[in-house]
Amino acid sequence: MVELVPTLLRQELARLAEDDQRLDGRSQWEGREVSLEVDCLYNAEGSAKVVMGKTIVYAGVKFELRTPWPDRPTQGSLMCGAELRPVAHRKYEPGPPSPESIELGRVVDRGIRESGCIDMESLCIVPGEKVWGVMIDIHVLSDGGNIFDACGLAAIAALRTAIVPAERFDVGEDYKLKVNGTPIMSSFTRVGGRYIYDPSEEEELGGDERIHITLGDEGHLHSLQKGLRGVFTPAEFAEIFDVAHQRCADLRTLVANQEGN
Amino acid sequence: MGGYGDVQLLRDDGLRLDGRKLDEMRPVSIEAGILPAADGSAMVTHGLNVAVAAVYGPMEAHPRKIQRQDRAVIDVRYNMAPFSTGDRIRPGYNRRSREISKVTAEALESVVLVERFPRSKIRVEIEILAAEAGTRCAGITAAAVALADAGIPMRDLIVGVASGKVEDIVVLDLDKAEDNYGQADLPVGILPNTGEIAFLQMDGDLSPDEYNLAMEYNFKAAAEIHEIMVDALKRRYEGGEK
Repeated sequence: MVELVPTLLRQELARLAEDDQRLDGRSQWEGREVSLEVDCLYNAEGSAKVVMGKTIVYAGVKFELRTPWPDRPTQGSLMCGAELRPVAHRKYEPGPPSPESIELGRVVDRGIRESGCIDMESLCIVPGEKVWGVMIDIHVLSDGGNIFDACGLAAIAALRTAIVPAERFDVGEDYKLKVNGTPIMSSFTRVGGRYIYDPSEEEELGGDERIHITLGDEGHLHSLQKGLRGVFTPAEFAEIFDVAHQRCADLRTLVANQEGN
Repeated sequence: MGGYGDVQLLRDDGLRLDGRKLDEMRPVSIEAGILPAADGSAMVTHGLNVAVAAVYGPMEAHPRKIQRQDRAVIDVRYNMAPFSTGDRIRPGYNRRSREISKVTAEALESVVLVERFPRSKIRVEIEILAAEAGTRCAGITAAAVALADAGIPMRDLIVGVASGKVEDIVVLDLDKAEDNYGQADLPVGILPNTGEIAFLQMDGDLSPDEYNLAMEYNFKAAAEIHEIMVDALKRRYEGGEK
């Protein structure tokens, strides 16, 4: 479905930006309240639900036994995919995975993979014969803006609660998956000429290009992505990079607190 | 039906493995209006099953060839999330989900006043987040509440329930083990106020008497679930907790 971008919405967003305001009253770098629930899906080995404003996302972790790649006989594998099914918004249509959903899944995948939080060697059972394949599936149920951050958060939270189902596959006792770190994504969209953090649905509709930054525990970059039409300056990036450090730290604390419960 | 005779599904005291009586259904809870992006939505928890339904529309029906000049078409997609079962399901449509989507759409078209919306389409998206036997029924129940939540006029609600047979005994609402190793499964969609049936499937082996008893159980359960559906819609619209 083609979404029309109302000129009035763009004008209103530009006017608000001049006064350093946003449609929903947030400040430029303020995120919506985030609620995170873990271990919430009965058949998944690890799971999480994230609610950010009108956005609702679930992530579930499954395991399978597979033979390792010939050039990496002692390494398991990790795969993260996202589905933008028509349930999530009237703009999504049925059919094969859209470029948008592939981009989403791959950006989340890179952030987790490149942070090194999963030691692929630890997923090996018998070198050259049997390794674990870890699959994170992200299911967007309601797209109310900034699904990237919601998906990134749900994915790592689900992964961090995952139990390896060794008993069911007859390869020993179940154990908690070892995850060394909590990579977190922060997303920014240009709205009314300036960047804002955590865009709402209206801000995405009436905004321009977006930038996604995934940071590890030490503040290192693990994945970057610029999406949609538009350009930005190094100075603009420096500013949102600073904000990303703070927002990522906040969300990392949220994940840690959930696990403590 | 798997039909393995050597799996014990009824305990010596006559109760079922999970302690239920023969005509006892699993606990059901329903919440309406859970998805902000949708025009109507519902989440149904039926035992360990979790089904979410979203309704969009009525909207323009396209591609144009699906349009009906005299009524709306209902476009249902039943989908199991990859993490909803023991082994991961590859994302995407399969023969099972296509068939369930088709008969569910036809059942819903039997209760929605589709003639009110000529040339339009109503989209019903059913997502199964956790599956433990009975997902198509939970999906139908969720779809009915979501349609009502979307304000779409209907002749009645529709309730998805199933009965079946294990160890030659008719039981209400099969769980996973009973579904895998039982002898029959009879899922239906019942209109609770008119007593009509809009959805019917069955597989396995049932005598005429067993069929009648299974259907009796189904109607009893439908009345119970109907109350929970109405309660969920009331909570959503009477200004109680959302």
